[in-house]
Amino acid sequence: MFGYYLDLALRSLKRNKVLTALMVLAIAVGIGASMTTLTVMHILSGDPLPGRSSHVFYAQVDNDPVPGDSHVDPPDMMDYQSAMDLWSAKRADRQALVVNPFPEKVSAPGVNRPPLMAQMLSTTADFFPMFGVPFEYGSGWTPDDDTHRARVAVISSNLNDRLFGGIDSVGRTLLLKKGAVRIVGVLKPWRPSPPFYDVRGGRFANGDTSSFYGKPEDLFLPFSASLEMNDGDFQQFNCWANPPKPGYLVNAPCNWMGLWVQLDSPAKIAAYREFLDHYAGEQKTLGRIRYTETRLRDLMQWLAFNRVIPRDVKLQMWLAFAFLAICLFNTVGLLLAKFLRRGGEIGVRRALGASRRAVFAQCLTEAALIGFIGGFCGWLLTLLGLWLVRRQQTPYSDLVHLDVSMFAVTFVLAISVSLLAGAMPALRASRIAPALQLKTL
Amino acid sequence: MLLLMLEIALTMAVLGNLVFIVYGSIQRSHVSTGVDESRIGLIQSISVIGEPARGTTAGDIAALRNVPGVTHAAFGGPPLWYVERDPVYLDPSRRQKVAQMYEFQGSEDLGRTLGLHVVEGHDLSKDELPVLGKMDMSKDYQYPVLITRALADRLYPDGHALGRLLYDGNATIRVVGILDHLRGEITGRADDDYSIVTEFVVGAQNMGGGFMIRAGDPARLPQILRAAAAALQKADPAHVQNKVYTMAELRQKYFQHDLAAGRMLVAIMLILLVVTALGVSGLASFWVQQRRRQIGMRRALGATRGDILHYFQAENFLIVTGGVALGALFAYVLNLFLMKRFELAHLPAHYLLIGAVALWVLGQLAVLGPALRAAAVPPVVATRSA
Repeated sequence: MFGYYLDLALRSLKRNKVLTALMVLAIAVGIGASMTTLTVMHILSGDPLPGRSSHVFYAQVDNDPVPGDSHVDPPDMMDYQSAMDLWSAKRADRQALVVNPFPEKVSAPGVNRPPLMAQMLSTTADFFPMFGVPFEYGSGWTPDDDTHRARVAVISSNLNDRLFGGIDSVGRTLLLKKGAVRIVGVLKPWRPSPPFYDVRGGRFANGDTSSFYGKPEDLFLPFSASLEMNDGDFQQFNCWANPPKPGYLVNAPCNWMGLWVQLDSPAKIAAYREFLDHYAGEQKTLGRIRYTETRLRDLMQWLAFNRVIPRDVKLQMWLAFAFLAICLFNTVGLLLAKFLRRGGEIGVRRALGASRRAVFAQCLTEAALIGFIGGFCGWLLTLLGLWLVRRQQTPYSDLVHLDVSMFAVTFVLAISVSLLAGAMPALRASRIAPALQLKTL
Repeated sequence: MLLLMLEIALTMAVLGNLVFIVYGSIQRSHVSTGVDESRIGLIQSISVIGEPARGTTAGDIAALRNVPGVTHAAFGGPPLWYVERDPVYLDPSRRQKVAQMYEFQGSEDLGRTLGLHVVEGHDLSKDELPVLGKMDMSKDYQYPVLITRALADRLYPDGHALGRLLYDGNATIRVVGILDHLRGEITGRADDDYSIVTEFVVGAQNMGGGFMIRAGDPARLPQILRAAAAALQKADPAHVQNKVYTMAELRQKYFQHDLAAGRMLVAIMLILLVVTALGVSGLASFWVQQRRRQIGMRRALGATRGDILHYFQAENFLIVTGGVALGALFAYVLNLFLMKRFELAHLPAHYLLIGAVALWVLGQLAVLGPALRAAAVPPVVATRSA
């Protein structure tokens, strides 16, 4: 029966090509606009660490002693003392410090390529296993390297390509400003969306958060070694008094270090919360801090707290769905005109014994067919839209593509929109009284 | 009929808000930052190469000032670049944050390089500026600053800001002069214009960051800026000048994304309007076909072609009017929602009026074809058995 309806639908669509083209165009434009924005939204709002994100937490302690109204939430980062205390207590299954020094010039001796500027991350050994960072060659450094301030490094596949042409560079040396490091690991191409471990300060960004979606760093150093090699080049998140020497933050009244922990069971999560509270209470007793507020958010909560999805992306998505609604109404009107114009034909079918249900199904099939064709054109428009988004040079441009799930959503959305649009006209068509129509034939 | 009204209402709601958003960003891109933009160039110069620094910041600035065509030069960043934003307090205990302000910090002459207008009090003079490296770090030291009129009015509604004290995250600040305008960013919010300017006397330090020049002749700014970057490179070979922008380029970069997105939305909206017009046209021609007999009868009873034409035009006008009335309500609701979620401004009433006029015109254009066809129906149709 469906095949027959499809045949009827095709004939009907061919009969009035202008009207068909109009409906297809309406659906295609609506789908194209909403799928473009929905795809961007899908890419930006996804889980950057699927399967692991609920076990990964970001710890916060309120160490800023300045009174004021900013103590609702602890600062986004910690000072050296707090971060080192919590990290070296090793109360979590895994724990990693993250610190961003200023970018630095990197060169490789014995390689005939120009030196280049590399974004750096100072962290600790657990960073790589905790975040499931994939390695092409070698591996991360060991906790021993952290303790012994080993001059080792992990580099991104991008840096490896540009400095060494993509060969296995494990064991090679990199020259930095204050010395050399030995490469122990080379990453596979790794592009979390966003590089979540660097997300902070979103609540102060006024919705302008696209910079969170930049690329991960090219050079990863053990924090202990980095303290010697990058001292003077550290960036603070905030300070509650002037640092004695800008860039030298170890004993400065500044927040500049982040702590990520992995906690594998609810019991461990509860225990860690308690540990944080206990630490804050103890430090207050010692007189080092004045407020005891602490937070332990899991990865997705931390991203939500930082409102990582740029405001303009959200706004555009709402507008695009409003477009789709207009297209929907338009299609309803056109389908109504199309179905009711065929009153005579429907009357004959009804008189020959077709049930209301059959007429309804036939009309819906026609609507779905329009939806399918509209979806196909909408898919092409979506590809065009995404191409335009990629050309806009946002930090996430390189991430924007249509994956299989969004490809499927395009057609599902197009067909559901057309079925929704077709429901009312089809109902009206199926209610046509056969006798009246036959008389007018 | 109701359907068409709903469609028109929805179109109007979206159209009104969209035009408002896009027009807002176009308007914003023309808001002045309060500095003399056509004459200012920026050189980002940072010491990242693994060599010890050789020049000094004072030397760097002197080198810039000696470039022919440069009238002023200073260390510090312009608006729309990375301007620090800090909370501002009126009490030294910093209990109650009053506002967020942009802090422009740089070497002496920063204000003159930017071309700021001091409208009350006096400009910063060299003898009162703190000397970098020999600064009084005590809690009581008061930094002399210039603040904008907008910030002064926000902090001191009584209008007497001169000589008063305020506090940022860690310093005490004394107001010595008031500026007409200085916007750190242009987002459309009132606090864009909440800014302060602090100057320091720089000496033997070697700092990296933004260096600005001010050209005497705006037409020659690009050449002068290039010459200045070369001079800075020569004065301080351990620095790299990786980014050099004129203020016009900075502004273009700042608004690029907004305007591109706006253009895309307008393009989609235009396509939609065409589709909607064609849809209205399609429905109208369906009605004409349905009423052929009725039209023939009216013609037979003496109605002129003009009467029939006007009948369909009036019908369309009434439907669109209904849609517009409903659309005004929808537009208002949508605007309330957007205001709440995205901090947009209130939709002014004249946008609704423009939207209404646009839809009336569109509706009349769409109905013209079908109405003309209706007018062409001969009276003889009435006599045929249909």
